[in-house]
Amino acid sequence: MPLRYRFTRALPKAASVALVAFALLVLFGPVLLLALFSFNDSAIISLPWEGFTTRWYSEAFSSGEALDSIVNSLNVAAIVTVASVVLGSMAAWGLTRLRFAGRTALAGVHGAVLVVPWLIIGVGGLIFFSQIEWQLSLTTVTLMQIVTTFPLVVAVMSAALVRFSPSLEEAAVDLGASQLQMLRHVVLPQVAPSLAASAIFAFAWSFNNFEISFFTGGFQQTFPVWVFSVLRHSTNLPIVNAASTVIAGAQLLIVFGLWWAMKLMNRRGGGDDVALAEIMTGGMR
Amino acid sequence: MEAATIAGAAVGRRPSRLTRLLRPLAFMTLPTATLIVLFLIPMGILFVYSFEYGPLTGSSGFTLTNFTGFLSEPLYGRIAWTTFQIATIAMLAQLLFAVPLAYVLAYKAGRFELPLLLALVLADELNPMVKIYAWRMLLGRDGLINEALLRIGLIDHPIDALLFSKFAVIVVLSTSYLTYTVIPIYASMKAVDAGLFEAALDLGAGWFTTFRRVLLPLIAPGIFIALLLVYVPLFTDFASPTLVGGTSGYMLGQVVADEVLQNGNLNGGAAMSILLLVGAALFSYVAYRLSRVKVES
Repeated sequence: MPLRYRFTRALPKAASVALVAFALLVLFGPVLLLALFSFNDSAIISLPWEGFTTRWYSEAFSSGEALDSIVNSLNVAAIVTVASVVLGSMAAWGLTRLRFAGRTALAGVHGAVLVVPWLIIGVGGLIFFSQIEWQLSLTTVTLMQIVTTFPLVVAVMSAALVRFSPSLEEAAVDLGASQLQMLRHVVLPQVAPSLAASAIFAFAWSFNNFEISFFTGGFQQTFPVWVFSVLRHSTNLPIVNAASTVIAGAQLLIVFGLWWAMKLMNRRGGGDDVALAEIMTGGMR
Repeated sequence: MEAATIAGAAVGRRPSRLTRLLRPLAFMTLPTATLIVLFLIPMGILFVYSFEYGPLTGSSGFTLTNFTGFLSEPLYGRIAWTTFQIATIAMLAQLLFAVPLAYVLAYKAGRFELPLLLALVLADELNPMVKIYAWRMLLGRDGLINEALLRIGLIDHPIDALLFSKFAVIVVLSTSYLTYTVIPIYASMKAVDAGLFEAALDLGAGWFTTFRRVLLPLIAPGIFIALLLVYVPLFTDFASPTLVGGTSGYMLGQVVADEVLQNGNLNGGAAMSILLLVGAALFSYVAYRLSRVKVES
């Protein structure tokens, strides 16, 4: 700390606080106002505060489309998360711990999925399913989301596996553990926080995914697609406020809940907060 | 590795050749099959479609008309220019903001470092459509910003240019991707040996010189990773310009969406997708190489 003291003093404390405050303002301010106006008793999202109401919430959750789209998104995200964590962990293990021909090329294909824009994968999926004459539905959305999401799990899990030396695993096998016992008792405890992080990221990627759901969903709407279509026609906006507030609140709770869970697991596994920060930012690399 | 293999052989538990062959198959078959069927084949079909006549043209076989249609029409040149402007300005704005922010996170935040990182991750996890809607609510003609400015008497008429403009798209895109710009730069700053700053200052460099000559070259790889992660999605975005861009903020991503969904011209949409993909690949390659060069030197 004292070593870098003089350089870090270059930016005055007030400036750093202002910078962080501005960042938080642009990142969260709009969403907070959106939440605030979900309680305004007016069909127009505008300033004169007409009084407190919860009717937009009851309308949002009694009418079909909003609720249906949320349920659709949750179903899709649940399947995508499970499938991605399974496929991604398998591939990460294979790509980091096993030797076989074509491994580098295969790792490249996994990486390529993460680089190709979702818009293009969505259009590719649309054309593919029309070619093989599959009706577009939530099933096609789920399939396309699995293929775009599990490489993210591969990235997070590979990063975790690379961090741990395989010597412990070899020792376990040498001492007579079966492959399954070794995976269960040696590998799993080490990578548990990363597994949790992959699950959060996979769920969020699926739940928030707009492009792929939009192109390969046909007439079945996920939540982002529903918001998009309502915004295009600009009707019933306060209902969008209400539904969005619920979703944003749930996402806040999920992120914090899983953060605590990861923290616990990480402590139990002997890691410190630096390791945790690394896992958390792992999805970004 | 070596020692373990020898030890394994010594106790006679070295995996047989067959298991060593089967194990990769057991782990890799399912993921690879998924990638082939749902990624490589669709991308292949997309590629083929981009070189075929559409069903409406009455012709069949190989053609370049899908591409020449876009490349010869000045309208698409203008849209490409708009797209470039929006994506580049949004990227630069984010970098200008992200470098000092990452600096604060890495060196000055202290016990707030992890909570702030978590806030950045949370900002990214919030639904993008919700974020776009929130900005639209703020920026509109009757939106909250105009409303507030009118009330305090700073303006007489609402500012129309706030929404349905390039400006709106830039604001929405910059805030949507900020997490992905800050975190790689932050990570590269964490890896810098702080003693270097002290050395530079001891040798008489001012803080700006220290920043430009010591910190900036060392975090350059982080900046290139941020470019790699953010610029391509910015360039191909179509939800934000559709919802807040109006006619003046029309981008190439919307051309793809409109060709496919409104005009039913799958082949045109495929061709534009391939053009975007080639552009993205070239850009990523250059950014990747630049990040490598900096790491090595």
